[in-house]
Parts: sequence; C-alpha cells; structure tokens
Amino acid sequence: MLGFLVGEALRDLRRAGRVAISAIVLITLSLAALGGFWLVSSNLGRAVAQWRDRVRIVVYLKREPSAPEAVLGRVRAIPGVSGVTYIAKADALRALKQVLGKDASVVDHLPANPLPASLEVTPSATAATPEGARDLVGRLAALPEADEVAGSADWIERLSQWQRLLATIGLGVGAVLAVAAILTVTTATTLILHARRHETEIMRLVGAPESAIRLPLLLQGMMQGLAGAVLASIALMAGYSLVAPRLEPLVNLTLGIPDLEFFSPFGILTLLGAGTLLGGLGGWLARARREP
Amino acid sequence: MIEVHRVSKVYSVGPVKVPALREVSFRVSKGEFVVLSGASGAGKTTLLRLLYRDDRPSEGDIEVLGHELVPMRRSQVATLRRSIGIVFQDAKLLPVRTVYENIAFVLRVLGAPRRELTARVFDALRVVGLSSRAQAYPAQLSQGEAQRAALARAIVRRPPLLLADEPTGNLDDAMAAEIVDVLKDIGAGGTTIVLATHQARLARALHRRTITLDGGRVVKDEG
Ligand SMILES: Nc1ncnc2c1ncn2[C@@H]1O[C@H](COP(=O)(O)OP(=O)(O)OP(=O)(O)O)[C@@H](O)[C@H]1O
Ligand SMILES: [Mg+2]
Repeated sequence: MLGFLVGEALRDLRRAGRVAISAIVLITLSLAALGGFWLVSSNLGRAVAQWRDRVRIVVYLKREPSAPEAVLGRVRAIPGVSGVTYIAKADALRALKQVLGKDASVVDHLPANPLPASLEVTPSATAATPEGARDLVGRLAALPEADEVAGSADWIERLSQWQRLLATIGLGVGAVLAVAAILTVTTATTLILHARRHETEIMRLVGAPESAIRLPLLLQGMMQGLAGAVLASIALMAGYSLVAPRLEPLVNLTLGIPDLEFFSPFGILTLLGAGTLLGGLGGWLARARREP
Repeated sequence: MIEVHRVSKVYSVGPVKVPALREVSFRVSKGEFVVLSGASGAGKTTLLRLLYRDDRPSEGDIEVLGHELVPMRRSQVATLRRSIGIVFQDAKLLPVRTVYENIAFVLRVLGAPRRELTARVFDALRVVGLSSRAQAYPAQLSQGEAQRAALARAIVRRPPLLLADEPTGNLDDAMAAEIVDVLKDIGAGGTTIVLATHQARLARALHRRTITLDGGRVVKDEG
C-alpha cells in the first residue's frame, strides 16, 4: 500500500512539473539561507564562548611589591575574581622576549627593564559580562598598588550582539522564504489536485479509505520539501568546503577559533526534517482549502 | 438486497424546487437483474445516485446490502461502496494508464496485495472479453471496448451489487448488445444488477424485470 501511495505521489509530482520544481527551488533557497546564517552565527557563537572563557583583566602595579603574596591575597578576596597570577617585572620581560623570537636581542640593549609588574585577574562567570567586568575593573583600580587597569568584556559583547543580529536576519530571511516555499508547494499541490480529480473520483466511487485519497497529496508535498532540503544540504556542504579552507586562517587570526565548524549529522537531519515539514505543510494546506 | 421505501427527491436550484423522484418504492432481491427504464429526465440517474449514497433522499428510507443509507456517515459510505460496482455512460477510464493499470488501480487503492493483481485483473478482463487489450491506453480503445474495460474495473472486486447508468448510451446497437451480453453473464454469476437506460427497445429486448419511471414516479414494475 505504501509503495502504491508513494508511486501515486511521484506520478503527481511529474504532472505538476515546473511548479513543483519552483517549489523545490524555493525550499532549497529558504533552507540554504537559514542554514547559511545558522552556520555563521554558530561559529561566531563558538568564538564568543571561547573569548568569554579567556577574558583577563590586567592590573599594572606602580612598583614591584616586596610581598606579592599579601597583594594576591587581598585581590582574591575581591568579589568577581576567580583567579589571579602575579607577573614580576622579570617574568614580563621573558614573555616579551619569547614573543619577539629571533629579535629578542634588542631587549638586551635596554638600560633597564621597562615593563611593570602586573596581576592577571580571571573574572568569575558573573563578572564576565560587560557590567560585571566594569564593576570589577573599578574595584581593582581602587587598589593602592594599582597603576592602571586594562581589559574589559565590551568587545566580546559586541561580537555576541553581531552573532545575535546575524541569527535574527537569518531567521527573518529564512522565514520569508519558507512562507514563499509553502505557498508554492500549495500551488503545486492545487494543480495536482486538479490533475488528479479523475483518480479522486474513481477512488471515492470504489470506496477507497480517506487516507488513500489524501496521503499521496501529503506525500508529494513532503517529497518536494525533502528534495529541497537535500539540495540545500548539498549546496551548504559545497559552499562550506569551498570557503572554509580559505577563510580559516583569517578566522583563526581574528576570532581565535582554530577552524570553522559544519553541521553535525543531527543538524543535517534537522534540516531535512524541516524541509519535509515545510513541504508537507504546503501539501496539507492545499487539501484543507479544497475541502473545508 | 435493495429496499427503497417511499423515496422522494427534490433538488433546489436557487429558489426553484425540482422534484426528481416522488414516493418511489420497490425491492430488489439478491441475484436479480432489474432494468430501470424511463425517458430522459425521468429520474433514473437520481435514483441510482441515492443507491450508492452519492446523495440523500429528501424523504423516505433506503436500505442497500443491509446498510441504512439515510443516517449513514461518510466513513461508512466508503464501506458501502466497496460492495458496489458502478459504471456510467462514459467509461471514466484514467487516460494516462493502460486498461490493466486502470483496473489494478482500484485494487491497489483498496490495499490488495500486489501478487494477486495480475490474476484478478485478467479474471475480470476475461469476463468482459478484453484480455487482449490489457496494455492498450483508453485513447486506443473503441467506445465499446472502453465500456467493457469500465465494466471489468467495476467487477474486479466481485461486488455483490452492480449499478449501471446508461452503459450503452454512447454505443451503436451491435456494441450495446455486446455490453448487455456481458452484463447478463455477470448477472448469471450471481451478481445483483440494476441497469438504467432510456432506450425502451433495449429494455424490452432484455426480458428482465423492468421498473419504469415517469416524471419521478414508478409507473410500471413488471417482468
Ligand atoms: N443535480 C441536480 N440539480 C438539479 N436538478 C437536477 C439535478 N440532477 C437531476 N436534476 C433534475 O432531476 C430530474 C431527473 O434527472 P435525472 O438525471 O435523474 O434523469 P434521468 O432519468 O437520468 O435522465 P437521462 O436519461 O437524461 O439520464 C431532471 O428534471 C433533472 O433536470
Ligand atoms: Mg441519467
């Protein structure tokens, strides 16, 4: 029976011809847009999460303390501080030499170590928000030893806002295209209903169950949706494998994430499911309009 | 098999009421072959449509194959129709499918197992004498052949009741006689048949019980 219903649905699709193809193309576009924005936004999200973890606030000290342990103890007691390390002037210079690599010798020509001692403070999760970070910076600046406090979580928040904006645009564009796709599937299905009227008449005459009359319509809609989703997945995969290798070095440098992620198998399945749902909805709407 | 009790049917066309059947009553027993005759507009089609519950009577009761038709729900209509074969003046074959596919279609729609299809379709084609045309498309058939294909489709599920509305209406006398012979064969196999025709000559030549309608009334029931 299922074989028969699927066969009828395929026959209907062939009859709907060009309209069915436009419906499939629209589903492809809507899902590719949704998926594309989703990919960009989820990769940005990864960068945001990673940077949130890595937020450091640096407190430059007026002079090298004679008893760093005492200062560290006081800093640890400040609310919003989850960890703190002391970096002596000598440590700072060594780090600088490491960064300079083969040019490190220039440092040796300096008359004295120009780098200040500092404290590297890791904020707790609550203090990693822009407001939390600002409060913490204020409290750290109030330390008598503090010369200057650097670092904030502002730019991370800006990145995160971008991510949210992109996700919203993606959802908006995808939703508009999805509505267009559903309407096109509905149009295709209405054509099919017309092309199928003789079959429907015979089916009713011989006492076919309602399911046998309606399922092919739903099925052909779902097939349009699934075909569109498969095409969208292929397009996204092709786009990803084309763009990712070229973009990864840049992304690595600017966002600090090692690579660009593609959808997980579950993500692909979700995409296919969404397409099937869109198409099925289109098919079902045509039926509902015909038989109120 | 069929019990029609004081059935009236009035169509409303806008404000105009068109009486199509008035106080029609009759019974048909199992295995009977009944001819429904009457001039054009006498109400034959209307009556047949009531028998397969395509419409409800305005008044009266109808029982077909043990089903009360008036209070019947839609899901039960499908059940009723599975026991009734129906043919019309036009064969209503699906144009993009072969004769074989047209007949197999109704079996598949009703969930018949695939391996039974061929045997059952060819059984039906043999009854109507059309086995050799199984792979032809409807456009390649003569009208007589098309009507025989429609008959094969109607009987392929071996329904106990066959309703035929002017199945010979489009045919010349020779072809009409062929169809009538096939119908007689089907009737001889035990199927109850109601055949509507406005061709009085054909009705007389059948030598079967004939119910004659005139202006929606039964004016004669004899034979
Ligand atoms: N759907 C309808 N709406 C309104 N009037 C109708 C409808 N169907 C039939 N009638 C009227 O009912 C009467 C009986 O029609 P019906 O079709 O039953 O006659 P018939 O005996 O089958 O005629 P024919 O031999 O031409 O097929 C006619 O007056 C017809 O105009
Ligand atoms: Mg008629």
